[in-house]
Amino acid sequence: MTEFLQALILGLLIGGVYALLASGLTLIFGVMNVINIAHGAFLILAAFVTWSLWRETGLDPLAAIVVLTPAMFALGWVLYNGTIRPIRRAPPAASVLLTFGLALFIEGIMGVIWGNTSHSVRPDYFTESFEIGSLFLPKAQVYGGLVATVVLASLYIVLTRSWLGRAIRASAVNPQGAELVGVNVASVAALTFAIGVASAGAGGAIASVLYPFLPGSHYQWIARLLGIIVLGGMGSLPGAVIGALCLGVAELMTVTYIGPEWATGVPYVFVFIVLLLRPQGILGMRLRQDVATT
Amino acid sequence: MTETLRRPSTALVAAAVLFVGLFPVFSDDLYYQNMFILSMVFAVGAVGLNIITGYAGYVSLGQGAFIGLGAYTLGICVTDIGGSPWVWVPVAGLLSAAMAALLGVVAMRTRGHAFVILTIAFLFLLQLLATNWDSLTNGTGGITPPLPTWSVEYQNWPFYYSLMGVLAVSLLMSWWIRRTKFGMGLIAIREDEDKAATVGVSTPTYKIFAFAASAVFVGMAGAIYGFYIAFIDPLGMFNILLSVQIILSLLLGGRATLWGPVLGAFIVEWLNETSNNEFGGGNARLLIFGGLLTLVVLLLPQGVIPTAQSWIERLRTRGKAGLAGERLSGIELREREAPPPAPPDASSTPLLQVKGLEKSFGGVHAVDGASFAVPEGSITALIGPNGSGKTTVFNLIGGTMTPQAGEVWFDGERIDGRKPWQRAHLGLGRTFQITRLFPQMTVLENVVAPLREFHVGLLNADAVSGREAQRAEELLEFVGMRKYRDVRAAALSYGQQKLVELAQILMLDPKLILLDEPAGGINPTLIERLGEMIRELGARGKTFLIVEHNMPFVLGLCNPVLVLARGKTIASGSPDEIQRDQRVLDAYLGEDFRLEQPVGA
Repeated sequence: MTEFLQALILGLLIGGVYALLASGLTLIFGVMNVINIAHGAFLILAAFVTWSLWRETGLDPLAAIVVLTPAMFALGWVLYNGTIRPIRRAPPAASVLLTFGLALFIEGIMGVIWGNTSHSVRPDYFTESFEIGSLFLPKAQVYGGLVATVVLASLYIVLTRSWLGRAIRASAVNPQGAELVGVNVASVAALTFAIGVASAGAGGAIASVLYPFLPGSHYQWIARLLGIIVLGGMGSLPGAVIGALCLGVAELMTVTYIGPEWATGVPYVFVFIVLLLRPQGILGMRLRQDVATT
Repeated sequence: MTETLRRPSTALVAAAVLFVGLFPVFSDDLYYQNMFILSMVFAVGAVGLNIITGYAGYVSLGQGAFIGLGAYTLGICVTDIGGSPWVWVPVAGLLSAAMAALLGVVAMRTRGHAFVILTIAFLFLLQLLATNWDSLTNGTGGITPPLPTWSVEYQNWPFYYSLMGVLAVSLLMSWWIRRTKFGMGLIAIREDEDKAATVGVSTPTYKIFAFAASAVFVGMAGAIYGFYIAFIDPLGMFNILLSVQIILSLLLGGRATLWGPVLGAFIVEWLNETSNNEFGGGNARLLIFGGLLTLVVLLLPQGVIPTAQSWIERLRTRGKAGLAGERLSGIELREREAPPPAPPDASSTPLLQVKGLEKSFGGVHAVDGASFAVPEGSITALIGPNGSGKTTVFNLIGGTMTPQAGEVWFDGERIDGRKPWQRAHLGLGRTFQITRLFPQMTVLENVVAPLREFHVGLLNADAVSGREAQRAEELLEFVGMRKYRDVRAAALSYGQQKLVELAQILMLDPKLILLDEPAGGINPTLIERLGEMIRELGARGKTFLIVEHNMPFVLGLCNPVLVLARGKTIASGSPDEIQRDQRVLDAYLGEDFRLEQPVGA
């Protein structure tokens, strides 16, 4: 029972971090119909920068979020305008291939700068745990989960309470309509992409403490995040949160009861099952196809 | 689809094939032999990928998985069962095809982005299995197949020529696909999958065959590749960079072309070898592949061969006027009284009958118990205010949506459980509110694309047979669009597209034609002409069900008229009866609508 409870709580905590990361991905998809395959690469990049900051200045990885979020926001904005904006009228496949190209390029750059060895950020509290009854909850996981929840909550507030948030949601639901009521959809798309990448920055800083990483880790991360948004329903923010919590728990249960070597397979199995049984995901909607314009 | 290489380039292709074919005979340079062998492996991968990505429009990032699957099949079989490694090459091909078909089954209800995700998951899942299933795959330790037993003086010839053979066969298949109904259906799926289903293309069958075809030779090439490099491990064989190299080859060379994938594979493998030798591989390879992929998507989205072809085409046709702006033929208005709508024949049986149809989207009851009948031989109208559920009713009849309750009977058969293409085969044709032609196909190809029947043997039929072309031309003549037969559908105006879509539906020779707002967004002259065509077809025995907002058009053409409001049929009758019906007036104007006293009266 303790084992189960431990796995459940740790799963939910890690799921909170996944939720933050997947929110950025699903937000970008919802607004501009782009699957950002480079999302994993962005988060690993953020993890490496966190590692360097921690190494050089002793900055706490969770405090590094304050630096990384605006920096990754800027990177996202520049990359959107430089690469994705020119092809926004191209068939959807173009953006998948483009962001995949970006992911490989970023992986190469990280390899040149940091080398292809495993890194991890270990602040002082890394080896400490909270003991509640018979449960051992590592402090890094608890802090990570809490910080991710706070960042995610602020993202929600921005999206639901601000003009920008309304503009983003309007652009997602009906770009032409949003354009007509005075929303500059192209600029909103750039900001959305930047916000998505910024959330990968925040999430990457947190993830740097939770898992060891190397440049090639981004494949595993993107597979995990894609599994989450497929499960939750592509483009749905609440869906991403639900999907992330499910995946976090499912991974921890797999580690506990089946074996850690199979944990990476959980998101792939999710993808297969969801696409076979309920292609639109938990909270996804089936859209009217007959009036869809290309 | 002017994607075929023209004659001058045939000589170029022949020279290239000859050079690659004879290279090992004249040169014992093992560096280049190795480079050509790897190029051919990736070429087979890219030719396969072209079938699903180039023809059918499904982008896969997991194509490399079939190389790994083929290699593992050979490795496992030859170590566990024995025999000559060559025996296992065709087995590897068949296994890959079977796995791809299985993937096709999972992807049956999956489109676009979700499919890309599925292919990534497929690749990584196989890698995980190869890593963890120690007893079968020896995990990360990998499998070492037996070394070649032939004499050293033959060098790598058996690998070289067997791969060349596999590549030749896969190119032959690609060529065959393009010139048959199979390829035409795949291109229709690429252009608009739902539309393809409504004109009789049995999309799942096409897709599953295409997936299997895309993998069969890749599995064989993968098996030879594993035998050749003599070490089969999860990281090497299921490396996503293999997929990257394949997809890059296809994009660079040119999607939906015959030779593009091959050309691309040779260029990309040369780049790969260069990056390994000059810059030490690893990160340099990632930077080159990543950078190139980004640049190709941004700057050369069509690929080398199509871009070169369009340059040549532009040089050739410089100074010649196009068809654009030319007047439609046969549009001259005949000054004559429109005949009054024919009364429905009381004795005729309904061709289409809808009973208690229901469909809701979340809390919105778009169709809420609609029931009506369309008499055989009639031109029936379905009218109603915006949002009354007309298009949803069409989607339920046509099969692009399934009702939650109710029945649809057509020509004595219950069809509400049938797939859209099965309904098309029964004789049901429909147009869309916003026209949906296959934009990259020519007008003629668009008209020929519909299928009135389907059986597997049909896949092998010529894409456009002489008889079909002739019939298509007659239909184009009928709608006045014959001059445009070789123009791409995307280049037509909206009104012209409507006419071509009508001709396309007529190709099905349907008993019942559903027209969704045929008069919407087109000019009055064309509306008049359209009315004449519908009348003429009606006189030839076609039955129509028309959704339309243009009341003069409906009232002058149709009888009976059905009125839909809030998802229910509230009235039906002759145009005169409908115009006087109080319920209809209420539905259009609102139940609370009262004429106010004029201000100041």
